[in-house]
Parts: sequence; structure tokens; C-alpha cells
Amino acid sequence: MRVLITGATTPLGAAIVRRLVAADDVEHVLEVGAEPGIADGPRRTYQRVDLGRPREVHDLLHGPVRDRGVDVVIHAALHRRATDEGAQVHASNVDATRALLLGCAELPAVRRFVFVSSAAVYAVRSRAPGLLDEDAALELDPGAPQWIRDRVEADLTVCARMGLERFGVIVLRCAELLEHASGSQLWDYLRSRVCLRPLGFDPMLNVLSLDDAADGIVLALRSQASGVYNLAGADTLPLSRLIARWGRRAVALPGPLLHPLYRLRRRATGLDFRYDLNRRRFHLGGIVDDARARRDLGYAPSHPIAWPR
Amino acid sequence: MLGFHDAGHGYDELGLHPPTVRRLLALTRPLYDHYFRVDSRGSEHLPRTGPAILIANHSGVLPVDGAMLWVDVVRHTDRVVRLVGDHFIAMLPFASALFARAGVVGGSHATIRRLLARGELVGIFPEGVSGVAKPAGARYQLQRWPVGHAELAIRHRVPIVPVAIVGAEESWPVALRLRWLRPFGAPYLPVPWTPLPMPVRYHLRYGAPLELYQDHRPADADDPAVVADAAARTREAVRALLAAALAERDR
Repeated sequence: MRVLITGATTPLGAAIVRRLVAADDVEHVLEVGAEPGIADGPRRTYQRVDLGRPREVHDLLHGPVRDRGVDVVIHAALHRRATDEGAQVHASNVDATRALLLGCAELPAVRRFVFVSSAAVYAVRSRAPGLLDEDAALELDPGAPQWIRDRVEADLTVCARMGLERFGVIVLRCAELLEHASGSQLWDYLRSRVCLRPLGFDPMLNVLSLDDAADGIVLALRSQASGVYNLAGADTLPLSRLIARWGRRAVALPGPLLHPLYRLRRRATGLDFRYDLNRRRFHLGGIVDDARARRDLGYAPSHPIAWPR
Repeated sequence: MLGFHDAGHGYDELGLHPPTVRRLLALTRPLYDHYFRVDSRGSEHLPRTGPAILIANHSGVLPVDGAMLWVDVVRHTDRVVRLVGDHFIAMLPFASALFARAGVVGGSHATIRRLLARGELVGIFPEGVSGVAKPAGARYQLQRWPVGHAELAIRHRVPIVPVAIVGAEESWPVALRLRWLRPFGAPYLPVPWTPLPMPVRYHLRYGAPLELYQDHRPADADDPAVVADAAARTREAVRALLAAALAERDR
């Protein structure tokens, strides 16, 4: 197996690469990231590519990917900072996904395309099920922040090619990866010693550990399955409990106050947490149902979060 | 507590929390034993294991009937019945969190399917808001009776236990429904005749389980005529239980 992985410089990308390099049946891992500086090894090569530029994507696919005979592609690169918006971010999230997918169609060696999506694509509403399976409605509200809209568009872009390509396409909608430098809104939220939460609401949340996410993705690339799969984490708990387990103090305030307060915090500190991105799930929750991944992929989350206390 | 599925931190994935259940049981004991003096019969029809759907008549300004049914089922079976609430409940501050800890779930088929698949008791008030909103003159007259519970019972081969709740429909009659005021997405704001429910004695009656699936295949759940017929049977079962319980009480 020869694997291309985008987003290789993120903690998740690095965890996947560690598993691939340790596997006997993986001949080579071609790692792609936006940052400089990962040393090549005997079975791994790093290439810096700006996926937001179509020419660089083209040259990657028709250069190293073709030359190495890559047969499995893991696309795990999405722009992480929620406060960044605009055409360039959209190009990195959506156009890059489309370009990679369509480019892979021109490479006969590619037999599998794994897209690492996010459970943030689901619409959280009071009418939505308590457990969101893969058939749950997606967040198609045009007023949603770009961070969500881009993820939905990239997800749907990949879903739209399912069954049309000669290679297997699989979309993994991961619960929130509670990990540093992974674009986790909750990670950023928990950086404050005092965490504000909406008064009168204590929704259930599910968080995913790095090891479970990486294991799930590796299972997906080894399986013959195609389609959409949710990956949930081993930790499901109320927001108040999550804050306490992280060693933070929760202060409940009326919901309408939280958006302006967190906007102020963002402006003052540069931290990335946006309450408008999280408002619905901080009121209503939203747990992904991973029954399909358990059944078809053999996925079973077994690595709880390493809680500080 | 039987049948609790811990999702890892002492809660199930939908928010049920056994310590909160125990606290609520202690808090509601005076209401159950002394205020509403609940007289419960037929609890032998409640399954001690495996999935089942309880269906009951519904009334009141707040779901006091649901609370008494919930307490009664826990007392008799040590199982928490997962009452299905209207969607707007999730929008209510404090109530949403409290109800979730007590095991109340939103009314979506996907959620109920999941609960039945893992062998839980699910409680449905088919009348829903139309039951709660019924005028005092319509007490004990079953209102609109949607068929979703019958469809679920046939598709998932689950028995239905009919339940009659007598007392609740006189306890807290609604005087006005302010439809122009829709707090937190509720369909209206109810204005009761009395500020608190009156201490009318509750009579809970459980009927023999209806095994609708015995006459049908799971695929028949897609047949509107089959499902309508099955729902008519459940409605008749609740109506007959209600009539018997009222006659017994008023004798």
C-alpha cells in the first residue's frame, strides 16, 4: 500500500503516519502539509504543498503521487482556525478537496479516497434526533459561519462523487477531536480557567481522542467499505462535566450574553473559540451515532481522553 | 437501576443520570404518596426486561401525569421509562436539562429506534400537545391519535402496554391557551384555572400488552392501512382502560 496523506503536519496527520509507517504492508507514505520541515525517512517523504492553489495540487498528483504509484489517498487537511474567513480559506477547504478528488480520478493506481470530515456538518436543531446518524440533516443554513459552510460543502463535494468514481470513496464524520492544534473549538474553549456556559442548559457532548480518530481512519482505509461513517469518541458527557473534568470552573450565564463576551475574549486574546459556531450544540447537544462504523469498519473507540484530573 | 447504559461518565448518551433519577424519586415521593395518592394496578403487565412501548392518555398544564407514570414505573420495575417529549422541550432552560437527566428524549424515530434496539422501555403520549391542550369539557376523551407508536411496534416487534391515567385530567384544567405567546417554541402558553394542580387522586391502570407484531411482518409497518388499524387498536385499548378505571372510581 502506498499512501498519500494531506494534513500530515497536524497532530491527527502525524498519528496516522505513525500507524502507517509501523505497518508492514505500507510501502511508502507521501506526507503533504502546508508547513515546512518534516524529515523524510526510509518509507516516508514529506512535501510542502499549498492545497489552495490548483496548480500545486495538479503538480502533486501528476508528480510524486503518480511516480510513487499511490493507491490510497487520505485527505485530512481542512483549515483549522475558525476566525479565518474568505476566499483563500474556502479554496483550501473546498476547492482543494474537489481538485484532489477529480485529480485522483485521472490516476489509475488510486483505488481508495478517504475524506476526514467533521460532525460539525450536522444541523443541530430541537427537532433533530438526539443521536445523529449518517442520514441526519446537514447544516445548510446560508447564515452559518464559513467554518461550518466550508465543511459541509467539502463533505457534500466528496459525497457527490460516491459511486461515480472507479475507486472507493469514504467520508468519515468525526466527533470533535479534543486535541491541541487540531482546530478543536472545545480545546480552545477550555483554555480559559473560567468557562462560560448557557444558563439552564447542559447538553450532552461527545469528544474523540487522537488515538481513536487515527485508528478509525486507518480502519477505513483498510476496509472495502464506501459511504459515509460517523466516528464517535469514547467520552460522552454533559458540558458541565466536561468543563469540570478539564479542571476548569463553569459559570452559567444567560445565553444571549455569551456571544458578545466570547467575541470580546477573542479580540482581546486572539483565541479561536467562537460562540456563534457552538451556540446550538451548547444548548441542544449533538451526539454522533457511530453504529454503522462499528458494524462495517469494526471501529470501537477505546482510548478515552486523557483528562487532566 | 436496570438497563442503564453508561456512556462512560455516569450518563447515558442521551443524558440519563441515575443519581439524578434517585434524587427525583425522593423529591416526588410526597407528591406520589400523599398529594396525588397514586393508586396503581396492573403493573405486572410491565416487562421487567426487554423493550416495550407504553402509551397513555395525556393532559394537564405541565406533564404531571408523565411524572407520576415515570415514578410508578421505576417503583414497580426499577426501570426508567424513556418518556418521549415534544421537540420544544429541548429549548426550555432548566427543564431541558432536568428532563434529559430523568431520561426524557425528543420525539424522533431515530432516537426511539435506538432505545428500543437496546431493550428500553419507551413511554409515548400519542395525544401530545392536543392532549395537554384539551378543554375541561373534553376530559378523558382521547384527542388526535397519531400512528407512529404502532408503526414502531410493528417494525421493531415490540409489545405495546396501554396505560390509563385517571385523575390528571381533572387535577389541573386549562382555562386559556395563549397562542400568540409561544415561549421557547412552545405551541402556546397554557393558563390554568388554579395556580397549582389540585390534589385529585391518580389512578394508573396498565393493560395487557398488545403484540401487534404477531399478525404482521416488520415490512408491514410501511403499509398505512395496517398501521392505522393497529393504532386504532391501541386507542381502543386505552379508551377501554380509561372507561373501566373511571367506572371503578365513580362507583
